[in-house]
Amino acid sequence: MPQGFRVEVTAEGPVFADTNGNTLYTWPQHKLRNGYSGEAKGTPACYDEVLTVTAGLMSPYPPGIKLPEIEKRLSCMQLWPPVLASEAAEEVGDWTIVERRDGTLQWAYDEQPLYTSIRDRQPGDVIGGTRRRYGGDSPAMRVPAGPPSLHPPGFAVRQTSVGRMLTTDKNAAVYSFDGDTANSSACQDQCLTNWHPVLAPALARPQGEWTLLERSPGNRQWVFRGKPLYTYELDQSSWSQQGSDNPGWHNVFTQHAPRYPDSFTVQPTLSGEVLADSTGKTIYRYNCGEDSADQLACDHPDDTQVYRLAMCGGGMAEKCVEYWPYVIADADEVSPNRTWTIVLIDPATGRFAEPGQEGALRVWAYRDRPVYTFGGDKRPGEVNGGGTGEWRGQRNGLKAFWLRDDYMGGIL
Amino acid sequence: MKTKQALLFSALITLFSAGSFADEAVLKDGRIGYVMTDLFWSVYQTEDASQECPRGFNDGPREQFEQLFPYHEGLSVEETQLAQEIETWHPSTESDGFEFLEVEGELSWGLNLDDEISANDFRHPDGTAGIDNEVYRAVGCVIGFRGPDGVEYIFQNKAIVDERYNRMMIELSGVESLENDDQLTVTVYRGMDRLLTDATGGKVMPGGTQRVDRRWGESLIREVRARIIDGKLISEPMTDMVIPWQNLRVPSIQLIRDARLVLDLTAQNATGLLAGYADVDTWYYQLIRNDSTHHLSNGQISGISLYKALRRLADAYPDPDTGENTAISTALDIKMTQVFITHPKPLGGD
Repeated sequence: MPQGFRVEVTAEGPVFADTNGNTLYTWPQHKLRNGYSGEAKGTPACYDEVLTVTAGLMSPYPPGIKLPEIEKRLSCMQLWPPVLASEAAEEVGDWTIVERRDGTLQWAYDEQPLYTSIRDRQPGDVIGGTRRRYGGDSPAMRVPAGPPSLHPPGFAVRQTSVGRMLTTDKNAAVYSFDGDTANSSACQDQCLTNWHPVLAPALARPQGEWTLLERSPGNRQWVFRGKPLYTYELDQSSWSQQGSDNPGWHNVFTQHAPRYPDSFTVQPTLSGEVLADSTGKTIYRYNCGEDSADQLACDHPDDTQVYRLAMCGGGMAEKCVEYWPYVIADADEVSPNRTWTIVLIDPATGRFAEPGQEGALRVWAYRDRPVYTFGGDKRPGEVNGGGTGEWRGQRNGLKAFWLRDDYMGGIL
Repeated sequence: MKTKQALLFSALITLFSAGSFADEAVLKDGRIGYVMTDLFWSVYQTEDASQECPRGFNDGPREQFEQLFPYHEGLSVEETQLAQEIETWHPSTESDGFEFLEVEGELSWGLNLDDEISANDFRHPDGTAGIDNEVYRAVGCVIGFRGPDGVEYIFQNKAIVDERYNRMMIELSGVESLENDDQLTVTVYRGMDRLLTDATGGKVMPGGTQRVDRRWGESLIREVRARIIDGKLISEPMTDMVIPWQNLRVPSIQLIRDARLVLDLTAQNATGLLAGYADVDTWYYQLIRNDSTHHLSNGQISGISLYKALRRLADAYPDPDTGENTAISTALDIKMTQVFITHPKPLGGD
């Protein structure tokens, strides 16, 4: 790693940071309905230009429509300052240097140009972007850059709403059993019908938190943090949590997600479990990305609220509060961590409020963005608001906060 | 040579006999299960649509946008795209300025749900009068709902097979014969397993196994009495049937009141109708949550226009306060394949 950079521990796992601890992000190229956005490797595309019209990268709306609040709009570079390199900087391994249009030099990792986010305020913040999955109809997202996970070949780590889940490289969930130790497996005979030890190749060697258990001569099972690893025969989908229904069996995470507020509850649904408020109403997150060439996000209180107000209240802030209420924090509640925080919101605008501001609401936020319940959910476990908005809630809309699902990959 | 022909004939006889034997084999302890493989809104179609849609088909979001905003370059996102999305997500019954083309023909698939024959009813192609199917009247001239390549027709059926969330099953119990039985029980469950298919992966085969989803699907279980007449299963109405309906990773539902099944049974398949009154708002929001405006555009489905039609044509369950009907008569074409249903013990059980 070049001088001046470091690794920060964050809710999204280890990330690269600049000398001030600011998380570094990439903007990988992403195929959209009518073309590509993001950056091809080695090619910066985020500049100090304020875009004024839509790009028509999605469907069915055409390009050339005026973007909202142009007079207040920031450029891509104002929101995502490039990580510049000095003339004397030298490339190290996967850390390379690319040239911007104006001749300045920019650091890149794995050939993807690097940026910081003005949304991040202190070392360890990953408010600017996430490693969670985004599909073909999501905006071209900014993704925290970081060192590769130190797992043996044959495994993968996936960012989910409940933590960084360990899987096989074919996305099968990996489990551990309470009755096992690093040197012994309680899963024998009949148990092995449904639980398959994750076997190590002949040349595998212990390393760090990874060791090996010899079940029988030449038959060695991977062990992570003192627990032998298994896959589950009856899992029906990738990244499954179904095996954890068996007493003593658990999914394996390299890092658990920061704990949600104590007043929140978990509710069963037709698909799995959702996060809910203290009364059992499902929690929703708002997602937004503009149909502009720079794919700027519009999901944060500091972004334009035009999109969100349209979706939640037909353009009327008072209707938004009725249809999609903020989750109010009780007076005695405090933020448990930097992922789940309490923020002040002006409900008339949707933007952050100043302390003491009249009418301001003290509400729960996830990654600095308020969360909501839905007026159309009448009973605990209902998720009638999920998928509301453009592109099934991916581009200008709301998705339920899934903690477990057995049917649609909702924790990803 | 004669010997070979005799052997072949003998083998065919054995095969047919084996088929009969199989019929008996799947009806075990008076039980037989079927799993859903096809489900789509029943649309009676003539070859060139001239009978049901003599004035053609409805425009979709793309066509309506071009008519509303022919010079969109000078306009803002708020005036155009978001204005249309607001109308989609906060729909009203007020006119959108576009003429909506309803089905004009007299024929429809479906059932006589209210046991009445009125001027507004359709006639079944077999001559039965009094068919209630106002969803057909609304969607019959919308390309996306028409087979074989309408976007809803394709997407929803693909989802029925691919998405385990949608794995609806029925188990018939107390069955003495699949030909005639004057009293049996139909239980609706959700399964939790992938379907058994042939080697191509494209055809669902009888004889698969499905575990009942007692973890998340308990609220979907329904039980209703039924009878079989000449191989046709006819159920009594279920007060409210919830159909799990997921497409493109958004779990949603359809709510059908007075839902009843009419299915032609064999030991391998059950094919027919699921009919009742669909809750209008649930119907509409399932559609637009599962399919974005883009997907709807591919089927020329204007959610904005369709909502107004659904509300206008709703024919049951009046709201006690406003008097407006909240449900609309409908029928769904349904195909099911025989499956062995297993009943896992509840979590924490012995």
